[in-house]
Amino acid sequence: MFDFLIQGFGVALTPLNLGLAFLGALLGTLFGALPGIGPINGIAILMPLAYTLGLPAESALILLAGIYTGSEYGGRMSSILLNVPGDAGAVMTTLDGHPLAKKGLAGPALGLSAVSSFIGATVAIIGLTLFAPLLAIVAVKFGPAEFFGLMIFAFASMSAMMGKDPLKTLIGAVLGVLISTVGVDSGTGVLRFTFDMPELYDGIDFVVMIIGLFAVSEILLMLEHAFRHDQDAEMAPVGRVMVKMSEVMYCKWAILRSSVIGFVIGVLPGTGASVASAVAYTTEKRISDHDNSFGTGNMRGLAAPEAANNASAAGSFVPMLTLGIPGSGTTAILLGALMLYNINPGPMMFSEQPVVVGGLIASLYIGNVMLLLLNLPLAGVFARVLQVPRWILVPSVAILAFVGVYQLNSDLMAIYLMLVIGVFGYLLRKFGFSLAPVVLGFVLGGLMEENLRRALSISGGDIAILFQSGLSIGLWIAAALVVLVPMFAGKFKAKFQKT
Amino acid sequence: MKLAADRILSLLLLGLAAFVAVQAWQLQVPFSYDPLGPKAVPLLLAGLLAVLAIVLFVRPGAGGDWPTGALLLRLVFTMAVLGLYAALFINLGFLVTTALVSVVIAWLFGATPVKAIVGGLLLALGSYLLFTYGLGISLPTGSWIEPLLGSN
Repeated sequence: MFDFLIQGFGVALTPLNLGLAFLGALLGTLFGALPGIGPINGIAILMPLAYTLGLPAESALILLAGIYTGSEYGGRMSSILLNVPGDAGAVMTTLDGHPLAKKGLAGPALGLSAVSSFIGATVAIIGLTLFAPLLAIVAVKFGPAEFFGLMIFAFASMSAMMGKDPLKTLIGAVLGVLISTVGVDSGTGVLRFTFDMPELYDGIDFVVMIIGLFAVSEILLMLEHAFRHDQDAEMAPVGRVMVKMSEVMYCKWAILRSSVIGFVIGVLPGTGASVASAVAYTTEKRISDHDNSFGTGNMRGLAAPEAANNASAAGSFVPMLTLGIPGSGTTAILLGALMLYNINPGPMMFSEQPVVVGGLIASLYIGNVMLLLLNLPLAGVFARVLQVPRWILVPSVAILAFVGVYQLNSDLMAIYLMLVIGVFGYLLRKFGFSLAPVVLGFVLGGLMEENLRRALSISGGDIAILFQSGLSIGLWIAAALVVLVPMFAGKFKAKFQKT
Repeated sequence: MKLAADRILSLLLLGLAAFVAVQAWQLQVPFSYDPLGPKAVPLLLAGLLAVLAIVLFVRPGAGGDWPTGALLLRLVFTMAVLGLYAALFINLGFLVTTALVSVVIAWLFGATPVKAIVGGLLLALGSYLLFTYGLGISLPTGSWIEPLLGSN
């Protein structure tokens, strides 16, 4: 049953892939540490380069996955030292991490968070190794109707869990699906929403979409931050990065609980590190905050979200590798990257692409050890990255975005399209949307329509096929539950607190 | 003012939904064995979007704060610079345009003129060397330089 892992280590231990895993860990930590450039931006910027370098699919994925997991490590640095989260998953880390740094404990805080990150990721990678093959066995039974139900479940759990505004999450997802309908309809050859522009016949290119949405809109947002002088935070001195065994032991249950929470939330399709770290932090506060010291520099309050966000990153690979459904916004992009290699994401991936799947999982184990080694002794070096001035950072992002899109097919139209999408992304973010649902909708939209139409042509147009098998009924019920339970739980709590 | 942003958004979304619906309705569909055809999903999405937009209109959230005045001007200027970058990218070539754009953006982000010029030139040169020699990506050299090269 674990043949895939042995084969995977064979793939991951080749010099090229070891080197790429290391490069990914290094770049990921850097991207995570730089405020404003999270995992999604880092991957969006580097994805086209990985593609043009002619890397084989598994190597490209190892590099990109390394960036993803690495940035969950790196995100903590600016959270702790500057009180500015490096990415969305590191927001909760500021709550106790920065107070610790202010007390002069920046070094121990960085050390403890690196160890918690390592344990969280390890627990989740083991979970991934155990659960993924089981889920893959079930997934093979999926037909088009079950797939459609699964995607409805993915969107439902995303809108219920992600962000503070479920309505905007849904609208974002619908917009993403709508954008995915642009181009030639694969079923009939009809041109949809192309407005007689030949550039749009093949649909909107994935790379153009992602770079526009994230990198270009980020440039505009960074301009706003710079204009408002948000970034003038004083950096706490790092000191020596070290962690005492007693500190880890003090936090051991917090770390283990949060690792499990992070893994489970990571597995749920559509929800990622930001939800996982928030749930882990509030749970830990309820369980172990006896003297109300959470938020003032409690070690457990730092360890919990750090373990959870790394665990969720590894957990989000479970649905991606077994069902072809991304577990988070970042894995949605990884999935899109796989499609560039003509690998069809889906339940057959586990059996058809053992090299890619096994290699990726094995490289997660290797990358995680590399990350711990990088992040303990070298945290002080990475911390200096925080002081890279924006006037160097922003032009670099612009250059990478332009080159990334230009080298796709040396096409100017693609660059203009990227800029238009960038303004669109900026407006969405200003309106309070998070971009992950839009990406998820964009990636899943085509698959969703395809499966719906395939199911209905099997049944000759009878909608009942969508609710026929036990599996699909279960998925529809699960979708209803994830939406309804939090709604009623909220109402129940409100009543309970009033009386 | 804050409520207004989401109301405007919901009207825009309603307009988008109507536009999508009309466009989808006009698709000429040849006969096929696909009972759903290419129209159904866009129409469904348009309907869903319209419903969500109406909900948003009835229950708008906090609108966020919008750039005004000098900041808005800077944002528009930045996009114009990026647009020019794209427009001149091929004719002037990567090196020249990248140097110009990097200098301007660096200056917009608060670098002193000297720093901006030195930083911009180094960024352009460094990234050109990295991309062409390190990664083997062919970048436009610029049409103005070709006659100079073409003479030999």
